[in-house]
Amino acid sequence: VFFFFVRRLLAAVPTLLAVLTLVFVIVRIVPGDPALVILGDQATPEAAAALRERLGLDRPLWTQYVDFVTRALMGDFGTSLVTGRPILDEVAAVLPHTLDLTIASMIFGTAVGVPVGIWAALHRNRAIDVAARILSLLGLSFPVFVSGIFALLLFSLHWRLFPVIGSADLNDLPDRLHKLVLPTVTLGLIMAAYITRVTRSAMLASLSEDYIRTARAKGVPWRRVVWVHGLRNASLPIVTVVGLYVGILLGNSVLTEIVFNRPGLGKIIVGALNQRDYTMLQGLMVIYCFLIVVVNAVTDLLYGVLDPRVQAA
Amino acid sequence: MRTLRAALLGTALAVAATAVAQAQSGPTLRVGMAAQDVGRLDPHFAVSTIDRVVVAWMFNGLVRFKPGSIDPAEIEPDLAERWETSADGRTWTFHLRRGVQFHGGFGELTADDVVFSMRKAGTAATSAFAADFRAFQTVEAVDSHTVRIVLRENVPSLLGIVTNYSGGYIVSRRAAEQRGQDFVRAPIGTGPFALERVTPNQSAELTANAQYFRGAPQIGRISYRFIPSDASRDLAFQNRELDVNYGRADQTWINRTRQLPNTTVDVFEPGELAILNLNTVAPPFNDIRVRQALAHAVNRAELVRFRGQDVTREGQSLVPRGYLGFAQQPLLPHDINRARQLLAEAGHPNGLTVRVIHTQLPEMLNMMQVVQQQLRRAGITLDLQVVEHATFHQQIRQDLSPLVYYSAARFPVADIYLTQFFHGRSIVKTPTAVTNFSHCNQADAQIDAARVSTDINEQRRLWAEAQKILTENICGVPLLETLLVFARRNTVDYGYDLRGSMSLGPLITEQTRLR
Repeated sequence: VFFFFVRRLLAAVPTLLAVLTLVFVIVRIVPGDPALVILGDQATPEAAAALRERLGLDRPLWTQYVDFVTRALMGDFGTSLVTGRPILDEVAAVLPHTLDLTIASMIFGTAVGVPVGIWAALHRNRAIDVAARILSLLGLSFPVFVSGIFALLLFSLHWRLFPVIGSADLNDLPDRLHKLVLPTVTLGLIMAAYITRVTRSAMLASLSEDYIRTARAKGVPWRRVVWVHGLRNASLPIVTVVGLYVGILLGNSVLTEIVFNRPGLGKIIVGALNQRDYTMLQGLMVIYCFLIVVVNAVTDLLYGVLDPRVQAA
Repeated sequence: MRTLRAALLGTALAVAATAVAQAQSGPTLRVGMAAQDVGRLDPHFAVSTIDRVVVAWMFNGLVRFKPGSIDPAEIEPDLAERWETSADGRTWTFHLRRGVQFHGGFGELTADDVVFSMRKAGTAATSAFAADFRAFQTVEAVDSHTVRIVLRENVPSLLGIVTNYSGGYIVSRRAAEQRGQDFVRAPIGTGPFALERVTPNQSAELTANAQYFRGAPQIGRISYRFIPSDASRDLAFQNRELDVNYGRADQTWINRTRQLPNTTVDVFEPGELAILNLNTVAPPFNDIRVRQALAHAVNRAELVRFRGQDVTREGQSLVPRGYLGFAQQPLLPHDINRARQLLAEAGHPNGLTVRVIHTQLPEMLNMMQVVQQQLRRAGITLDLQVVEHATFHQQIRQDLSPLVYYSAARFPVADIYLTQFFHGRSIVKTPTAVTNFSHCNQADAQIDAARVSTDINEQRRLWAEAQKILTENICGVPLLETLLVFARRNTVDYGYDLRGSMSLGPLITEQTRLR
């Protein structure tokens, strides 16, 4: 497993370099000047030039690029142009919050989505199925800034069960879990909606296979047919969707982070983009890509566990 | 001897530690701010509202605005207990208070720190406010507690430059030199509160400075929370998770917040004046009739009604009202027929379309859309190119928009506003550019003469004349002034009457308390 990971990480290096180059070039092509963001709107071109020189932004692009890649390879991502804080410190401070939310939403989404999807498939075209499909459509249609605010109004203001400010103390586990509930449910419901739909169709396909009929003919109990024969064969698309969705959640939970006042990777990425914080964006992209590679590797590993043919291939 | 010294030092440290512990045992004030994170907390780089608000709690100037006021006439001693000036107004001598301690055990404030701070604030590479110090010839320490500033030429308000605002904050030389690049996130000042830590995306935590020279603060800690979503911040305030909340300059918000139990909404100065700056040297606004038509098409009263009577007021000149040197101007009245007539005379009988670059920042975009509708009634169509805010700032400085909606507050002396927005030296795309989008330079002589004059009446006369010239030439059309809004729970007593704050947020002083 270790070697598998190492191999995957090494294989991801070209992708990483390509992404880095793209990010490096794109953020610099986009109009907007970090010196103006730092100096404010009363800055003279003279002052902006002096600052650009101090930040090293006046050097030729390729020098900046080589410098950045060399340092990045050694694990040094430098400091944020805007706040002056080391990028790794910034990321380390928010990453636990992002991972908490991503993992919790994944667990919630899967725990709700898979059983509901199976249930809907087993009751195809009946009231339960229709209800599950409508509910999952609603889950997909409600943006977080609507469902999130609604959840806050109800659970925080009306019932006072959860705080509005969801940024938790990382050293205080009960506090951390408590503040995770509302964002997890809000984000997890969207994920559950996706998983419900995928599980339902995967189960429908797998339940109509010949081996299911054979198993039933052999007299295997129905429960075992569904959970072992049916679900195991339907699990590949489900794992794919969960893997994809986890990747998306890592950097795109920004709306949830904003509504529930949680720190997070998505929020930092958007902030760095707004402020033209080149170094921060570059560092974030490397870390984000690395996380995606890890998620994809784990997904591939799971394929192997679920379907031995994948491993053999 | 050595033992005695060690014992004395030990006792002193123990006393200081007890004092710190006592001060920190006070209640925590929770302030909600509409931003994602703080930027650079070196006060000489604090340019955004979120940074300005917090550095004002951590630093002092040689002098300060009386808490709750932005009136330059009410400037009072801060780190300097007294000062004198030469007859020609070019030499200023400040006598520092004794015994003022820096945060974090960085020792007593001396003239050396003041000299270092001013030189740092006056250097482009280490400060965003270097331009304010252009007239400074020398800053030197006469002795350990006396600083002398010699000016090349007179400035409208030297006290304004050395006050607790922008480049005037005094930092610890030893801390700045020791911490180097890290000083931006671990700054050391002398103010009532010291920075404990910043958690990115989350909050800045401050603790009371028990050794503060005006006395230990009554509040133990400040938790400065970064909450960009207005809705979430309002809910947190409503849920009593915040004591002070950054408010929206919007009548509906104010009315709604005022209805919350135990809540006070403070509306205070400085007002941000929004002006439509017109490029007077390029078509179509190089024809004064087109500029006059646009000025007639604007309906200021309607803009104020849209935004709210409590929080906005009509612009009356090209300088915000209340600034030293402000002079109300007879502006062209709202008159659609006259606007159409002028457009026809200028060769646009069927109206005209102007391509304008504007920001997507919601409050600025909303106002611009109202202006767009007003101008459309007179036949002027604004083709708005809405871009992201950083792009907007860059492109308007590249002179790409013939009309620029710009809203700003500055140090409350007419000179700054007039120089940055309407002096020939500040014209965009020149080496000395600031924010002169109109390319007007007709009042340069008056602005320059007023800056170096030592006679306040003469200054007022020259500033009034400059405003008259610029207004008659329609270099810009003043729209409205928007005040600052913060809500607080009634348990918060700032310790002064909040009528204004140059740090753009409530000043938290040693007298602020939570009842």
